[in-house]
Amino acid sequence: MKVTRFDPSDSLIIVHATIWGPHGHKGLRLAFDTAATQTHVVPEFLDEIGYGPQHGDRITSITSALGDEPGYMMPVAKFSALGFVLTDLRIHVHDLPETLGIQGLLGLSFLRLFNYEVRSAEGRILAVRI
Amino acid sequence: MVESTISEPMTWAQICEHYPDEWVALVEIGWVNDRDFDFRTARVIGHGSRREQYDQARPWRSRYESMGHYFTGRVRAPLAPLIFL
Repeated sequence: MKVTRFDPSDSLIIVHATIWGPHGHKGLRLAFDTAATQTHVVPEFLDEIGYGPQHGDRITSITSALGDEPGYMMPVAKFSALGFVLTDLRIHVHDLPETLGIQGLLGLSFLRLFNYEVRSAEGRILAVRI
Repeated sequence: MVESTISEPMTWAQICEHYPDEWVALVEIGWVNDRDFDFRTARVIGHGSRREQYDQARPWRSRYESMGHYFTGRVRAPLAPLIFL
């Protein structure tokens, strides 16, 4: 079992993640979101590690806090969060408001591979790979 | 165009104090483990808006394969859900 800590005083549960791309790897912070079907990342972050719309395999549209946002689905070579590493995780790429202070959402496309327990008062997530 | 500079190693508390409510680009991050957002020190190569810190960090890409991009302020959850599907 892996234990990930978060700040329980934040207004969202924020976890650290890393994405590897053709130009290296970068750390980012994502909101832990069991209401999100997909794992979402903002496009300008992915641009910096060598990904772009040309890597997308499906054009999408969502309604977010910014309004109707165009986006796309794409696989990333390597992704880690909660202490686990996945390869070829498909993510949803679209923009989020800069003022949120996060670069995306850790959604069920990642989380459904694990059993996890969120201890909000303690600021801890306990996760086990299924 | 903002000049590309690199800071001395700083703790996250020091970074937040120097660059309040800004996005920062970090390198040489001394992670404590592979799960938490905890590091001993890191060096700042960009700061400002989300776009500005990416622009300042770009010249360092050939030198640093690994970077981190983070917001120093409090996360501000919207009143409405982030995404409606």
